[in-house]
Amino acid sequence: MGADDAPTTSKTTATGRERSRRLRPEALPDWLPEWVASVAAPRTERDRERRRIAVLCAPFVLLAAVAGVYPLVEMVRISLSEARFVTTGVTLDAYRELATDPYLRRSAWNTLWFAVATTAASLVAATATAHALEKYDLPFEGALVTLLSFPVSLPGIVAAFMIIVLLGNTGLLTQAVAWFGGRSAIDAAVATSVGGLFVAYCYSMIPRALLLLRGSYSEVNGHAEEAARSLGASPARTFYHVTLPQITPGLIGAFILTFRTALAIFGTVLVLQAMRVWTFEIDYLLSNGYQIQLASAMAAVWFAFVLAFTAVGLRYTSAEVGL
Amino acid sequence: MSAPTDGRRAVSAVVGRPVVFAVFVGTLLFLVAPVVVTFVSSFAREWTGAVPTGFVTFAHWEQVLGFGGYEDAANYSLRLGNVVEALGTDPLGALDESPLFRSVGLALGGVLVNLVVGVPIAYAVSRYDFRGRDLLNAVAVLPLAPGIVLGVAFLRAYPQLSATDVGLVVGYSLLKAPFMVLAVQSSFEGMDLRQLEESARSLGASWPRTFLFVVVPNARRGIVSGAVICWALAAAEFNFSYVVYSRGARPLALFLQANISNSSFLTTSAAVSVFFVLIAGVTLALQVAGNRGFATR
Repeated sequence: MGADDAPTTSKTTATGRERSRRLRPEALPDWLPEWVASVAAPRTERDRERRRIAVLCAPFVLLAAVAGVYPLVEMVRISLSEARFVTTGVTLDAYRELATDPYLRRSAWNTLWFAVATTAASLVAATATAHALEKYDLPFEGALVTLLSFPVSLPGIVAAFMIIVLLGNTGLLTQAVAWFGGRSAIDAAVATSVGGLFVAYCYSMIPRALLLLRGSYSEVNGHAEEAARSLGASPARTFYHVTLPQITPGLIGAFILTFRTALAIFGTVLVLQAMRVWTFEIDYLLSNGYQIQLASAMAAVWFAFVLAFTAVGLRYTSAEVGL
Repeated sequence: MSAPTDGRRAVSAVVGRPVVFAVFVGTLLFLVAPVVVTFVSSFAREWTGAVPTGFVTFAHWEQVLGFGGYEDAANYSLRLGNVVEALGTDPLGALDESPLFRSVGLALGGVLVNLVVGVPIAYAVSRYDFRGRDLLNAVAVLPLAPGIVLGVAFLRAYPQLSATDVGLVVGYSLLKAPFMVLAVQSSFEGMDLRQLEESARSLGASWPRTFLFVVVPNARRGIVSGAVICWALAAAEFNFSYVVYSRGARPLALFLQANISNSSFLTTSAAVSVFFVLIAGVTLALQVAGNRGFATR
């Protein structure tokens, strides 16, 4: 037990180094860094805990490296490559094209304003829905929650079809508008317009935002709200000064995650084809002549932007991300 | 917005609740009505007027499931007829030809990888304190890259592998790993992990034994719900499958897309309804496992 209980110090004094060299098992080669050696052949309880952490994290790190980091690195490399099928040389041609091509610039602009607008609309609808679920006495609340969270698992193409059901040529709302307005249903159908796409985005995003906001709402202090009301504040004032500050971290977190979702939407656009967004352009480049360099460059820009946005968002706001 | 001083009620006291309630009802109808209409109209013979007519027919369901003469509609049916026919002779081969069973299998593969990957890291992050923990947690909980970016990356990094089952399974597992980690973490949250681990250790269990036979069984509720969520989302993954897929039976999401893009409205309704039934089954399974809907909190 003697050696096992020897304390490890993070001090880099001569004695500390001496001791860890003494603890190092003979079988391990001398050139291994100290922390590798301590994980491979732990002598102390703290080393053993470190080994446990390493073992627990290893599968995930492996998957992330093989399926995430390596492919992304290869993607960036081909986007910088001079040749199309092999990675050679370094050129910024693809990125130069991204910066100068007016169509792509327009697509970037479309993607951003559309994502911001749909996120804002979704958050408003989701906040009101979460508010009603939490504060009002609704019958069958459990069933309502299940119904409202059902669309979370629907892929974007199905969300697009749902909008066709509502707003397509024979859609429910189309028929209603055509009937009341005395117009032909074809003229009233807006599913494949920008407006239809807007609603389709919201169809995917509202349930996700709701999932996050319900969490924030469940932690709101009801007594403070009651106190504000009984002191004479109107419901709007109470919401603005008491409820809203409490759910702000959740709202910001929901904004970040929902905005990311909006930027990643592809299937919906593929079906409705109302507007050319960034993800759609990536697919267009791949299926029209397999322009992998430009497509990779676009994907790399997307990735860098979202990574930076998330990092800044989580670092400099009070965002609370707990899905 | 002034407080009521002279007996008049503030505007928000009068209209606040009705407005919020109206938005709530509107959202509910917006999300649920199309689902119901799709399901109901999939049993209609035609929809040319204001409402679908000619109930009840199973023709569209037969078509998308691949029965009754539609066995060969390769991209637009689930080819269950072929599967039933081949049950006696070559069941595995026929299963692989059906988009439904191929997706079920691929998604199951993704879930298995996620179990091996997600449960340990959820435990490491919940139980231990170490340098880089917060960063690792963020990486594990936030999706690294969305389906379409990951698809492009896979095409480039693994040109041979990406079209195979292995490529799809690995991609699905990375894309859906956050849901597994979150679900398992949420069931670890309410437990005193240190005490649990120390009790087991002091009773003589080794650490691997403690982890496998004490910690994991205690988190089974989170693990089951995480597995079910991951499975459903992997079976529905469209963006990644669309970019990477090249041969074999179409995954379920691509079968849906083929129908949405090209089939008649009512046939598409039936195809989408098949998917609804699948998700409803999953939701039911989740509730049996003790979680409500897809709330992973």
